[in-house]
Amino acid sequence: MSSASESLRILLVDDHPERIALLEEALSAAGHRVVTTLASGVDLNERVAELAPDVIIIDVDAPERDMLEGMQTLQRKAPRPVVLITRSGDRERIRDALRAGVSAYVVGEPAWERVRTVLNVAIARFEEYRRLERELADARSALAERKFIERAKGIIMQQRKLGEEAAYHAMRKMAMDRNIRMSELARAIIAAADLLA
Amino acid sequence: MSATPAERLDRRVADSDAPELPVVRLGYVPLTDCAPLAVAAELGLGARHGIRIVTQPEPSWATLRDRLLCGEIDAAHCLYGLVYDVQLGLLGVQRDMAILMTLNRNGQAITVDNHLLEQGVRDGESLARWLRRSPPSTWAHTFPTGTHALWLYYWLAAHGIDPLDDVRTLTVPPPQMAARMAQQTMQGYCAGEPWSALGVYTGVGFTIATSQSIWPDHPEKVLACTRAFSERHPQTARALVMTLLEAARHADEPANHEEVARILVNCGYVQANVDQILPRLCGHYHDGRGSRWRDPHPISFHAGGTTNYPYTSDGLWFLSQFHRWGMLPDRIDFEATVQAVNQTAIYGEAASALGIPLPDSPMRSSVLMDGVRWNGDTPRESAEAFPVRARPLPAGHSAPD
Repeated sequence: MSSASESLRILLVDDHPERIALLEEALSAAGHRVVTTLASGVDLNERVAELAPDVIIIDVDAPERDMLEGMQTLQRKAPRPVVLITRSGDRERIRDALRAGVSAYVVGEPAWERVRTVLNVAIARFEEYRRLERELADARSALAERKFIERAKGIIMQQRKLGEEAAYHAMRKMAMDRNIRMSELARAIIAAADLLA
Repeated sequence: MSATPAERLDRRVADSDAPELPVVRLGYVPLTDCAPLAVAAELGLGARHGIRIVTQPEPSWATLRDRLLCGEIDAAHCLYGLVYDVQLGLLGVQRDMAILMTLNRNGQAITVDNHLLEQGVRDGESLARWLRRSPPSTWAHTFPTGTHALWLYYWLAAHGIDPLDDVRTLTVPPPQMAARMAQQTMQGYCAGEPWSALGVYTGVGFTIATSQSIWPDHPEKVLACTRAFSERHPQTARALVMTLLEAARHADEPANHEEVARILVNCGYVQANVDQILPRLCGHYHDGRGSRWRDPHPISFHAGGTTNYPYTSDGLWFLSQFHRWGMLPDRIDFEATVQAVNQTAIYGEAASALGIPLPDSPMRSSVLMDGVRWNGDTPRESAEAFPVRARPLPAGHSAPD
């Protein structure tokens, strides 16, 4: 049994390399030892026996969770889902974990306080990853919108023999008159041009 | 104009009957037998009963369980045995649970690696002979306390094979079964459809036994929720059972089977093709080595309600088999456990409101593949009468409690 001051050996199972890197860094900074990181699809039965982790953090959407559950009938020191050892006050925390996409297993009886810090780090990193993903998606769509507007502007310049600035102003006026976004107007112009081409 | 006292009373009675929740969130695992939930949600069958059904896929039984226990979903399509596992805390997680109705009977199978054909394995008997002269083999099921583990154990044991000693068993996610068997890391698996059919259709394995050949008309998936949910929302629970009874009745009609398969595929419930789901849904089997048959006990979702009633004897069978395999702590009151979990009263109200008949008795009688009659009597003694079972612990040791 590990005491509260000892570092925990942690196994990470996740298909997102960026997220796993974020988490590994944060756990190492907190003094834990990430024994290995695995993508889903591996034979967890063998790896868990081999690596002897104290805690397993696994993506809540990994189908391999059931493989971990299945180990309980096979061996005494089997992983047990963290959802079961939560004191009543921690139930909310488990819900946060599920919502963030984190599930966890403990092997043996590591100190609960240490497990909780691991869980908190995992939740925070998973949420951070989700935020980064959202920001990236927003940035991508903003970029895509700008590209549409540029292409539409080119079409207007060519068809109405306008300069760049005049074409842009014509588009902005049209969008304001119709009460639609510039990007929507741009798509409509491109679609119409494609149709007429 | 103000309402008369009688009208006010009417309204109050009507209001008191209304479901407490307008939306019911249901979790399911992608399998052919989640059809009643899919049909209920996609055909909007809850509207007549004052609820809207929203479904969400769950990537594993563990995540389905955790979301149920944390209240992220209200009820779920669930392996029969898993509900009792949580009720008794067999894998450590204990919560009072409720089974609202049985969702289906039959329709699972055991599939064996085609390589074993070359070594003379055709059926249970030849498999038992092969096992005696071969290195240890590996067999997969879908959850340690689930139905597939118990069908696999029962079938192996009926051929004199001890599932705890003579083979290695492990849990594998059903969509990965055929691929793992193709890599020869396991020799056979027991799973639901379409993942059993897929092993055959992709040429990896053959069907050595259907679950209905182990126990004709066995209970399989149930509609489960926590007891706290059904107690806090009795009207919602009843409306949910009524909705799913109508969905199950619809899904059971042979004329609707193609529509059901299309809903499962086109609405994203099961990542497979219609022609991988439809044949076995209709009871058309081929075993992958030349045998074709029309199954006398195909998957059943309703059968006039006999499929759906949460029989006490069905629940007792799972506890009896858990006891057989050494999974139960001592001093479990089998009957009290089943009576607390299987919500026959809620089911009775829902079925009666729809004019669906109730059985005369909460016990039913069946004969399983090994000739053993099961009627729910003496579940503990019946388990101990099997020649193949977990060896009792030596005196002085007790099972965990």
